Amino acid sequence: MKIIGPDALLFGVDDLEACTQYLTDYGLTPVGDGRFEAMDGTAIVIAAKDDTSLPADMGNGCQLRKTLYGVADEATLNAIAEELGKDREVSRLVDGSIESVDDMGFTLGFQLTIRRDYEAPAEVVHSPGSNAPKRELNELGVDPSVKITPRSLSHLVYFVPDGDKAEAFYRDRLGFRVTDRLVGAGPFMQPGGTQDHHTLFMIQAPEFMRGLEHFTFHFGGPTEVMLAGSRMVEKGYQSFWGPGRHQMGSNWFWYFNSPFGARMEMDADMDLHDEQWVAREIPISAEISQAFLFQYREKWIPGPGGGK
Amino acid sequence: MSRNPQRLCAIDELPEGESKGFDLDGDGQDELFVVHREGVLYAYRNSCPHQPGAPMAWRRHAYLNKESSLIVCFAHGAQFDIESGLCIDGPCQGASLTAVPLSQDRDGNVYLTE
Ligand code: FES
Ligand SMILES: [Fe+2]
Repeated sequence: MKIIGPDALLFGVDDLEACTQYLTDYGLTPVGDGRFEAMDGTAIVIAAKDDTSLPADMGNGCQLRKTLYGVADEATLNAIAEELGKDREVSRLVDGSIESVDDMGFTLGFQLTIRRDYEAPAEVVHSPGSNAPKRELNELGVDPSVKITPRSLSHLVYFVPDGDKAEAFYRDRLGFRVTDRLVGAGPFMQPGGTQDHHTLFMIQAPEFMRGLEHFTFHFGGPTEVMLAGSRMVEKGYQSFWGPGRHQMGSNWFWYFNSPFGARMEMDADMDLHDEQWVAREIPISAEISQAFLFQYREKWIPGPGGGK
Repeated sequence: MSRNPQRLCAIDELPEGESKGFDLDGDGQDELFVVHREGVLYAYRNSCPHQPGAPMAWRRHAYLNKESSLIVCFAHGAQFDIESGLCIDGPCQGASLTAVPLSQDRDGNVYLTE
C-alpha cells in the first residue's frame, strides 16, 4: 500500500480567529475555506467546533477531527477500502476520498494525494573537506528577513490507550513499518509510500488522554526552524520544547503551544529509511529524546567589554 | 520588620474575564498567571499538572478558552475550572493547579501573599 503520509489534518476548533492568526504566523498560506497550505499543498483545515459537517468530537479536549492521508494511486485507495471494509464501515465521499476509523477511534480519510511538485532552495552547509555542493560564491548563508514557508506536512503523534492494538492496526491493516521504538512510549511508524523516518508516532497513555499530542511540518533546514521559531517567540507565542535535535529521526525540532490544544512543532532534516533499516528499541528517557536542547534568548551583544 | 509583599500589578491591569501572566524573574517564562472572573482574582502557578513545569498559555497572557469560562493548558488541551483549579477534562483529569495566594490593598494594588 502506497500511503505517502498525511495530506491534511482537519480540526474543529474553539477559537477560529486565534487558530487563523496562529497558522498564518507559523508560515502557512491561507487559501480560503479554513485551509492553510504548505508549499506542496498539504494543509491544516479548520472549522468551528460546532460545524455539523465535521466528523465527531473525540472528547478529552482534543480538537483534531480527522487525519486525511494521501495515497499514490487508485490501487492503494481500493486496497484500503477493501481491507478496512472487512470489519468496519468505509464510506466514499463525494470528492472520491474514503473515510473510516482506526482501532483507537481516530477518524481517517484517504485520497489520491494532492501533494504537488514544488521547487524550493536547500539549506547548503559548507562542511570543510566534503565534496558536497557548496553555495554559489558570494551567496549568503543567512537572510534574517527571508520569508519562510513550511514545505510539507510531516507527522503527527497520538496518545493511544492501547499501544499494541494501535500499532497492529497501522502495521497489519495499512502496511506501516516500525522504524524505531521508544520502549515505554511507543513506535515510530512509516507508511509504505515514503522514506521519512516517521509520519506517525504513538504514545501509550490512559484512555482519558486519548487524542492528538502534536503535529508538525517539515521546514527547509535547521536555519529555517531556528528563524521561524524565533519569530514565533517574538510574536508572543509560547515555546514548549526546543529548539533542539531529536535522536530518533534526527529531526531538528521546536515545539510551541497552540490554540489547537496540542503542540505544533517545526521540524527539519529528518532521516530517510528503506526496508534495509533495522528498528532500534530504546527505553524512553530525556537523554534519548534529543541530542541537544537549547532555549530561546532575547537578542544580545557581548559588547567591547572592559566595564564602564 | 516583615518583608514587603511583592506587588504584581494594579487591579485595573486585570480586566474582568481575562488572564494575565507574570514573568517575575524576567527569564521569558511566566511563573504564574491571574484570572479575573466575576470580580474575584484567581492566581495559579504556570505549571501544568500533566507535565509539571510545562508552560500552559499558547500566547503571552492567553490562558483561557474562547469563552473565558475555563483555564486551558494549550500543550495538550487539559481544561481546568477557574475557581478551584481542578482539571475537569484532558490529560490530567482530577489533578489541580497550584494556587498562589493574592491580596489587595485599598488603592487597588495586587500583591503576592507571602
Ligand atoms: S502539559 Fe498540560 S495538558 Fe499536557
Ligand atoms: Fe515530532
